[in-house]
Amino acid sequence: MAKSRDVNMAQLGQRGRLGLLSAAIIGVALTTTAFAQTDTARITDLEKEVSQMLANRTTPDGLRVHGFLDIGYASNNYEDVALKLHGFNVGLLDLYLTPEFSDNVKSLVELVFEVDAHGAVVVDFERAQVGYTFNDKVTLWGGRFHTPYGYWNTAFHNGAQIQTSVLRPRFLAFGDRGGVLPAHMVGVWTTGKTGAGEGKITYDAFAGNGSKFVNVTGPGTGTVDTNVAGDNNHNVMVGLNVGYEFADSMEGLRLAAHGFKGTVDAYSGDATNNGALVHSTDLNMLGGSAVYVVNDWEVMSEYYHFNDQDKMGSTGSHTSWASYLQVGKTFNKITPFVRLEKAALNQQDNYFGDQETGRAYSRQSIGMSYSLNPKTNLKLEVLHSKFEADAVRGSGGYNSVLAQYAIRF
Amino acid sequence: MKSIIFRVCSAAILFLLAFQSANAADLVVITNPDISISSTDIKDVFLGEKQFAGSAKLVVVDNASAQGSFLSKFMNMDAAKYNSIWTKKSFRDGLTAPAVKSGDAEVIEYIKRTPGSVGYVSTKPPGVKVIQ
Repeated sequence: MAKSRDVNMAQLGQRGRLGLLSAAIIGVALTTTAFAQTDTARITDLEKEVSQMLANRTTPDGLRVHGFLDIGYASNNYEDVALKLHGFNVGLLDLYLTPEFSDNVKSLVELVFEVDAHGAVVVDFERAQVGYTFNDKVTLWGGRFHTPYGYWNTAFHNGAQIQTSVLRPRFLAFGDRGGVLPAHMVGVWTTGKTGAGEGKITYDAFAGNGSKFVNVTGPGTGTVDTNVAGDNNHNVMVGLNVGYEFADSMEGLRLAAHGFKGTVDAYSGDATNNGALVHSTDLNMLGGSAVYVVNDWEVMSEYYHFNDQDKMGSTGSHTSWASYLQVGKTFNKITPFVRLEKAALNQQDNYFGDQETGRAYSRQSIGMSYSLNPKTNLKLEVLHSKFEADAVRGSGGYNSVLAQYAIRF
Repeated sequence: MKSIIFRVCSAAILFLLAFQSANAADLVVITNPDISISSTDIKDVFLGEKQFAGSAKLVVVDNASAQGSFLSKFMNMDAAKYNSIWTKKSFRDGLTAPAVKSGDAEVIEYIKRTPGSVGYVSTKPPGVKVIQ
């Protein structure tokens, strides 16, 4: 009996050990399967992560530097040779980067090296923008940017190789080269496009530090300062540029309306020491642009109407206008063009009267651009310019011949 | 004799034209399977006008061996015009032009492993989504 119980116990012991062993094997198997499933999921996740990282690596070969470079030759019959130099000249070396930091965060940094009229090399921190793209319809930029009025200022700016002519329209040039508008701004800018009908509505809305004039010691002496470090009068300049891009049979046509307003003060001192406040003007501009760029045609026109208010003196309000029309057509590698421009700038308006470059003028240009290759252009341009008298200078005119060799890289 | 030469030349020209047409006709736009875009978006995608598909950022690649046919068939422009548009977009809007892959194999491999990617190849491959 006892023996029988011992046998049973032994059998039970064997069964127990077998059960334990089976349970252990099943446990290990289950655990291994569980780990295997976890590992598979982890590997899948890891693969996705690596793919995402590779996809986000938008500059696999490093950060690419883009740029423009031009050299030129100028000749004219201007009476004051010191003001209108003849001979060869070095234009601009423009370098820009467009690093992206994520799917939505991007930036644009641009440095310009140029030789001024006195032969000195000037380095300009042209653009320093950081942007966030919410979706296809909205991108918000902050920093220093090209003021998005009209078309030319943002489309070409310092990019000599991508514009057909040698010179910009004079009133749209930079402050030290005849321009009268704030070509740069420090602030915020939102831009985007959205579908409407067959085409798209485009918009640019901006707000930032208004410009000021410095070195205003008399009529026609001031130069523009874009208030990069902060606004002198805490008066934000705001603007809007809304357009419509046509599609289908009218693809390439864009019509837009634009405007900006702000207060511009004029000081007798320089940019670091403003000195005395001489004038204060409410600047109000409304206008529009029409651009048709398709099938080898390049037709561009912009119009600016000013209705400015004298805030300090008693001269009241003054109206002025400026406009240009440029038409070009490409035949194989040659693009001949013609441009008409006129700026009827009221010299009683301190905004123009204070500026060294604020004279009323008209100009006719004819020229051609020859494409040596897609990244290199050789240009020739003939201009006739006529200036009206201002408070200190008489009327006059001159003819110019310009040549330019421009590349992009 | 002249007639034979003329016939041979004509046949050769017709063959070349047919071959070229076939190549352009076979060209397909492909995407990674995880995104959805329509054939009407193709031009906007390759010109940087459409950068997102839903919340996914699109990663566009060009194919050096098929770019001419693609630009002609889908974009109605040549390479010079396409590059000029991208230079202006990069300069104005801070956008980065599509990376250029050497050929079909490189594009397909990239599209398969890269979420949000869009490209084009000369023959329809497996494992990717064909848009058109």
